[in-house]
Amino acid sequence: MITENEINIARYCIETAKALGASASRVSLSKSVMDGCTILNGGLDKVTHSADRSVFIYLFVDGRYGTFSTNRLEKKEIEDFIAKAVTMTRMLGEDECRCLPDPERTEKGARTGRELDLYGEGYGNASADDRLQKALGMSIYRTAAPSDRYRIISEECEYSESVDDNFLIDSQGFEGRHTETMFYCFTEITIETPEGSKFSGFWWDASQKEAGLKKEGCAEKALEKAVSQIGPRKRRSGRYRMVVDNSVASRLIAPIVSALNASSIQQKVSFLEGTEGKKIFSEGMTLMDMPRTPGKNGSRLFDTEGVATKDTAIIENGIVKQYFINTYMSKKMGLVPTVEDMSRPCLMPYVKGEDLPSQEKDLSLKDILRRCSSGIYVTGFNGGNCNPATGDFSLGLEGFAFSKGRITHPVREMLITGNMVELWNSLTIVGTDVRPSARWQVPTVAFDNVSFSA
Amino acid sequence: MNTRQYYLDLFQVTENQLQTLTATALRHGGDFSDLYFEHTTFFNLLLKDGVVSSGGFHTDFGVGIRVLKGEKTGYAYSENTAMSDMLKAAQAASAIAIGTVGEMQYASVTDRKHDFYPMKTNWRDMGADAFLPFLKELEKEVMSRDSRIIKVVARMSDSVSDILMFNSLGELTYETRPMGSVTVSAVFEKDGRTENKTASRSFRIGAELITSALAKELADDVVRGIDDRFEARRPKGGQISVVMGAGASGILLHEAMGHAFEADFNRKGQSIFSDKMGCQVCPKGVNVVDDGTVAFNRGSGNYDDEGVPAEKTYMVTDGVLTSYLHDRISANRYGVPSTGNGRRENFRYNPIPRMRATYMESGNADPQDILANVKKGVYVDEFSNGQVKIGEGDFTFFVKSGYLIENGRLTMPVKDINIIGNGPQALADILAVGNDLKIDNGTWTCGKEQSVPVSCGMPTVLISNLTVGGEQ
Repeated sequence: MITENEINIARYCIETAKALGASASRVSLSKSVMDGCTILNGGLDKVTHSADRSVFIYLFVDGRYGTFSTNRLEKKEIEDFIAKAVTMTRMLGEDECRCLPDPERTEKGARTGRELDLYGEGYGNASADDRLQKALGMSIYRTAAPSDRYRIISEECEYSESVDDNFLIDSQGFEGRHTETMFYCFTEITIETPEGSKFSGFWWDASQKEAGLKKEGCAEKALEKAVSQIGPRKRRSGRYRMVVDNSVASRLIAPIVSALNASSIQQKVSFLEGTEGKKIFSEGMTLMDMPRTPGKNGSRLFDTEGVATKDTAIIENGIVKQYFINTYMSKKMGLVPTVEDMSRPCLMPYVKGEDLPSQEKDLSLKDILRRCSSGIYVTGFNGGNCNPATGDFSLGLEGFAFSKGRITHPVREMLITGNMVELWNSLTIVGTDVRPSARWQVPTVAFDNVSFSA
Repeated sequence: MNTRQYYLDLFQVTENQLQTLTATALRHGGDFSDLYFEHTTFFNLLLKDGVVSSGGFHTDFGVGIRVLKGEKTGYAYSENTAMSDMLKAAQAASAIAIGTVGEMQYASVTDRKHDFYPMKTNWRDMGADAFLPFLKELEKEVMSRDSRIIKVVARMSDSVSDILMFNSLGELTYETRPMGSVTVSAVFEKDGRTENKTASRSFRIGAELITSALAKELADDVVRGIDDRFEARRPKGGQISVVMGAGASGILLHEAMGHAFEADFNRKGQSIFSDKMGCQVCPKGVNVVDDGTVAFNRGSGNYDDEGVPAEKTYMVTDGVLTSYLHDRISANRYGVPSTGNGRRENFRYNPIPRMRATYMESGNADPQDILANVKKGVYVDEFSNGQVKIGEGDFTFFVKSGYLIENGRLTMPVKDINIIGNGPQALADILAVGNDLKIDNGTWTCGKEQSVPVSCGMPTVLISNLTVGGEQ
């Protein structure tokens, strides 16, 4: 955890920068500790301990801007470092748009770092042996029931505990702190069939509080995912309904979030340029940013500039409501600033053609498969890309064919192609089954008429 | 070249202290321990909207301490080299040996005197003012080549890493690793449509990299083929022959085959190649190499990050799988010498088997003949975003640019499609290998658990049957 002495070092950086000629500055001090333990095939494989500490210094000097970092925090080192940094910043080109945010916009209530209830009070109490026992407890390598269909050839179980502590300060008087712990478990299992085919599956969970972590069943779920892939078939190319699992559906939101960033728009590499206030997507698409929900992964009171976050609609009923505009881009583009980036995206439930207060409905994967009847159920994306300037995408995938609402067989070597705007205009269902541990709160989603190649 | 004392002074340690640390790390009975000291300085400049208005430098310093007991790893690090802090890290790493069994004898390696990347001009001796004119010149060169360009972003970065390694075999190795990179992106606008293209170069080399000739070369690259990019369409999808263009297509070799040859995946039984050693995996005549000895190459290292001298490793020789890529752990497991592939992102990570410069050696075919013999297919010259499933061998690659092949000729430009296939099957389906091996010197970075710089290469290669995703 960041000590009072280290906070004073951050303040000293601000003072030193000012003394050396910086008109403004911002300092981000980060500290993190992680202890982890990995089990391979039921036995100890790796123990790790890491402890990081670094300071990032953002300097505004004579209308110029530079960013610098170091993990050497001794006072004398800091003085020399900032002196060199100021000298270098003076060599750069002038850019009048570079400045700190309006102090009125910065967060005022992030004093202890624990306001959002993201710190597990029991963190740090576990010994190395405790962590080993937790990792061993996840393993099913020696206890899984034998099967004629496959044998487990490899199982890796990982358990870790970490804490991240960040202190942000600027020369206008802003000070903010954000602290969170993370308890994490992961299992990957590879199986081999009697015919010699290999399949792997993984599963993970994460929680800011130890009590919220679901270690139990992690390895079983990984095995289930591996086994479910036995006997894949190639499927004929064509247009199908597509259901995308809640564990990977965020992959289809990410290009949209990226395209809403003012930096992409200013650089002419956004397919959403000029769309603010316009209906671009299906009326069923409502994407919220919900950064101020206590105890939730991704919540934060301030962004990397210290600007206060707020819960807000980014896309509402298909209408683009907000770009992500930091102070620099605001000045550069003449737009009202918002926040630097998305914190905690939440895609709201929807069923096409039904008048929902859908939050009250329970739309699970099973319900969605039943409603869609037949198509391809996507459980993973494998490679591919989305052109940021046009929104055209092509994504490899893994998953299953389903018919009459039931999964029939795994598919392989398939991919989808299309355009992000067109895809999200073919949205038919957004479920309610978000994974509580995920930062991106994107449930299972369904689309009509998607182009599959195989 | 810096002396041994330079590195000991830099990290404020003596050789006696190094021995004390490895002894402490082995106090619970580990088989092998090593220390990895690193001091890296990074520098970067960014030109955007006509102004070099962003830049900075960064410093990283610390030591990683590892203990091996059999195939088990204990790892800890310290961000300062005060003896008391290093001893704590050594004690933390030593815990791996408590209550475990399975000793191994770790083999010593011979010293090596090559320097594959001598710096004529040390980046650390240069100020930002030395590079500002270059970025402006680069922008001017790019803008002068095409009136449709509406945006140019140019970046340059360098890093210099001082590395000192010591292990419980008493081997002390040290070196300084430079890296210089330049990337330029341009956005083109035509009839209300935009396209963007990027070109980059990255080498382990000193500041002599930054020249007017480099600016011209990158400018030529970034505008090359843009007319076709505007005309490009998605082809109809299906299973067809694919011709990999020489150079950057090597990323497919890296992702779809190279990872499956990394020995950690094989010793754990996870790779599709884990029981294929000595087997014919490609047609005869095909050689696949991972090479740490290419002069000034981004993936090269005089030593790997376990202190093992670099070598050129033949993974596939005349079509037969002849070697995995080993670190010390897997080399012991398989009873072979390490191939010098134990690499890490920095001192915060333990080394694992990683590729360096991975390429297929030239064959005998004339590239024009290869094309001429394809009745219907796709020619690909730029890939990105590849991914592979190690166990199944299935891979997917995004095609940034390419062409349809019809009756032996390149016809319609294509873009924004994926190519999918299976690694072993694709190797087996190689029909022809061109005589035009080209190493691509872009800013390739491999992200397996940790980020490390790599490069890749390929001659023109024809594969008989891959799935191309396109319009229906």
